[in-house]
Amino acid sequence: MTSTSDIETFILRTAMGDRAAFAALYDATSAKLFGVCLRVLNNRAEAEDVLQDVFVRIWRKADRYAVNGYSPMTWLITVARNLAIDRLRARKAPARPIEDIYDLAASGPTPEEAAAQSSERAQIDRCLDALESKYAESVRGAYLEGETYQDLAERAGVPINTMRTWLRRSLLKLKDCLT
Amino acid sequence: MTQAGDQPRDDIALAGEYALHLLDADSRFAFEQRLRDEPELRNLLREWDEGLVSLATEMNEVEPPAAIKRAIEVRLFSSEKADRERWFGRIGRWIGAAALVAAAFALAMYVAPSFTRPDVGPNYLAEIAADDRSVVVEAVFDPDTGEIDLDTMVGAPAEGRVFELWLIADGAPAPVSLGVLPQTGTDGLTVPEVLRSAMLGGTLAISDEPPGGSPTGAPTGDIVAVGLLTSS
Repeated sequence: MTSTSDIETFILRTAMGDRAAFAALYDATSAKLFGVCLRVLNNRAEAEDVLQDVFVRIWRKADRYAVNGYSPMTWLITVARNLAIDRLRARKAPARPIEDIYDLAASGPTPEEAAAQSSERAQIDRCLDALESKYAESVRGAYLEGETYQDLAERAGVPINTMRTWLRRSLLKLKDCLT
Repeated sequence: MTQAGDQPRDDIALAGEYALHLLDADSRFAFEQRLRDEPELRNLLREWDEGLVSLATEMNEVEPPAAIKRAIEVRLFSSEKADRERWFGRIGRWIGAAALVAAAFALAMYVAPSFTRPDVGPNYLAEIAADDRSVVVEAVFDPDTGEIDLDTMVGAPAEGRVFELWLIADGAPAPVSLGVLPQTGTDGLTVPEVLRSAMLGGTLAISDEPPGGSPTGAPTGDIVAVGLLTSS
């Protein structure tokens, strides 16, 4: 498995125009970033399209990575998720449920990945558990599915302004807990 | 490192909403304008992104089709090569062999930015492309100056026709003209101030028009390419 420092090296070399490093970065991270696009978009053709945009963006913006202070996978996942949600917002038509396209449950992390991720995962879970459950679910819905305030308010059965006010309060608690 | 306690509470919640992508287009645009000038806000956003990213462990890996990698390399590298060759040809025709030293200098000035990639603040990018990639135009929008740099990577209007750029803002009833594309490879248009905040999340489209652009204020020819403008 490619280590975090390998991925960081690939990004820094990509920033210098190293195409071999860019290809290695793609090989190491494209499955994760495609998973992010698919989860947000629920649509295979769009996710493939956005994945291309993601790596074009990574090539062009890799030089900014060195100065932004992000850990490498956070930066890559943030780029992918933002572009996928931009695409989601640009279309209105509903897509088929993701389960129709991929059996996502079948491809969990390896035991090594799971161990590496578990402590950070435990922190976000603990912090979300401290929130009222509908706001914890709202944070998950916004992050994982790219849901809007409108979507979140409908699902929770509250007016949109109520959702916004209470979610903002929950975000303050969440940030305190995460920091 | 900046601690959450140093930040106004409004900004803490606002940065969280931005990180979750909950802000509407106008608020998102305004937040990105602040990010350019406020390092503390950038730190706050980074803390949010780092704090939330472990939720992505729920986004399982899926191997993309093999053709995607090749498609990315074609997009990035063959158009770059084609563009450079196009410029060689054009410069040769324009000024002739006697001025090749000057041409080499001009080419170096033209190519240099793609290697040095100066550190600019958040800007907005779009690839405006035809489905079959017979037309590909890269657009970079600077919201401060309203300048939109356009680089035609592939394609050109037919003889006696021009390409016109349109903004289709999110929720807008009709496209708004941003002007006729310059005939040379890399050049810019200026977006009027009143339209700048509508650019983010808007769709850019290129239509085929008579010389001087559409006479009606709406596209009269085919839409040849489209692309979504997104923040960097």
